[in-house]
Amino acid sequence: MKLISWVWFWYVLVGFLMGGGAVIIWNILKKVKLKLVWYEWILMILSTVVFLLMSQTFIASFYEFEPKAAWFSLIFMGIPILLMAVVLFRSLKKRYIKNSEIN
Amino acid sequence: MGKSNKKYHSTVGRRDFMKKLGVGAGAFGLGAAGFTGFAGTGFGADGFNDLDEMMSSPLAERKLPFWVKEVDEPTVKIDWDNMEIFHGPENTLFNPASWENPKDYFDIYNKNIASTKKNVQDNVPGLSLKDRALADANCWGWGGRSGADLAPPWSGADVKANPKWEHPTMFYTPEDYGVEKHQGTPEENSKMLRSAGRIMGASDMGFVKLDEKTKKLLWGKITFEDVEKGYAEPENNKFVLPNKELWAVCSVIPQSLWMQQYSERMSWASSNTMSYSRANIYGNRLSVFLRGLGYQAYGGDTESIGRSVGFGVMAGLGEYGRAGILVSPKYGTDIRTVLITITDLPLAVTKPIDAGITKFCETCKKCGEMCPSGAISMEEKPFWGGGAAYQAKGIKGWYMDAKKCYTYMLGGEPDCSRCQTVCPFTKFDEAVIHDLIKLSIGTTPMLNSAIRKMDDVFGYGEQPDLSKTPWDLDPMDIPLYGLDKSRS
Repeated sequence: MKLISWVWFWYVLVGFLMGGGAVIIWNILKKVKLKLVWYEWILMILSTVVFLLMSQTFIASFYEFEPKAAWFSLIFMGIPILLMAVVLFRSLKKRYIKNSEIN
Repeated sequence: MGKSNKKYHSTVGRRDFMKKLGVGAGAFGLGAAGFTGFAGTGFGADGFNDLDEMMSSPLAERKLPFWVKEVDEPTVKIDWDNMEIFHGPENTLFNPASWENPKDYFDIYNKNIASTKKNVQDNVPGLSLKDRALADANCWGWGGRSGADLAPPWSGADVKANPKWEHPTMFYTPEDYGVEKHQGTPEENSKMLRSAGRIMGASDMGFVKLDEKTKKLLWGKITFEDVEKGYAEPENNKFVLPNKELWAVCSVIPQSLWMQQYSERMSWASSNTMSYSRANIYGNRLSVFLRGLGYQAYGGDTESIGRSVGFGVMAGLGEYGRAGILVSPKYGTDIRTVLITITDLPLAVTKPIDAGITKFCETCKKCGEMCPSGAISMEEKPFWGGGAAYQAKGIKGWYMDAKKCYTYMLGGEPDCSRCQTVCPFTKFDEAVIHDLIKLSIGTTPMLNSAIRKMDDVFGYGEQPDLSKTPWDLDPMDIPLYGLDKSRS
């Protein structure tokens, strides 16, 4: 691999997105004083794995001269990620409201 | 035939990649000059009409990293007025006449021979018999006879005289070094051969023991006699192997998938066909390597031994596919040939494999649909066939009508390799998802139909933009020999 190459850039960008996302989610959970329950952990880990797979497929497909495959990977893997994120968000919101009512 | 114009690949360069993402290099504040891996790929430029046009374009300029400067004078000082002109290679120290005292040359050469022999005898790592055999293979394995003229006439130099059976080349044997031939367990020998094969030019390697069954994969003209060493009488079309334990070394010779992003004509003319010359050079090297270890080697070119797909299947290098060609779990159908070399070096056999490929072919049929000549069978299940001179009976598979294929390819239409290009197993090795798909095919056949559909939806196997050729690229962006590093 070349010392200076776009490949580095894309994977570093994915790393920043992942790291930044993790910090933001951690801070929000801390702020609202919520802890993840087991199925939320599973959803979180699963969506992270699919996000990684989607990012890798997206970037690698361009290097494979397959731009159509790159964009379709965003759709086919992005939709499950969004669905998992919605379920996770709704679950957290439900517990947050419940906790607020108790307090 | 109407499907022959269907797209089967698409191209995009790194610059296109960025454009499609809507991101300019300047937006990152990183400076295009620094991104040598990206700058000046030439993708997106109009194609050139001829070589002159290409050379006069900015693409003909070298793309150097910013820390490498072009200067008017080289960094070594040269006195052009007093520069002595060398007559030629005879000026070099490889010519004894270049030495003030030619005896010094021979003294040094004899010392070299003595130390080489001693190192082999002492089994010094890096200088042992197998290391020397590999060195000879890579040095002389190109098979040319002129090597004999250039080489010093030292003991061991040998020029073989039967190019269709034993390659004409130079090599040194264990006897020359005064040692026994290479000794190793079959497992050690197989591993050693696979390592040497990778260095010499084989993507992968498998081993088949010749028995009453597998001997049927050899050409019928090959016979066996109770002789210590095989021989050939090409003028009588007689090729004899010794009646002893023999193994077929089956070597996968890759071709360039990278070139197949361009027009099939270009890919064939400049890439696929080149694989044959690489195959023959590799075969020479392997033969020299085996004989350098003290063992026999026969065949080892693209024509002289037997059926490459049959041996490839038996060696577990792939499965028999719908197009009648080998489909490898790693390389798909993008294999130019499986080169067969027969040897008496004891080897651990590699068994046939089941990666779900033949099963997948039942459902997929993509090669058959995309074949412009209609040569590939569209029967769902494999069948007992054969009958034509070019179709051997005895295999329950899909029999390709090679005559249709050949007529299309050589009868005025562009050369073709669509069945290889469109195969869902023929993929670059960058995206991890391909391995997951192969995992599914190997373990969950019920998803095969969906996988085939997704292969189409994702655009795999679409036809390339035929106006684009490698001439448009920065030369340094072209992989060496056109071979894709990600799939080697």
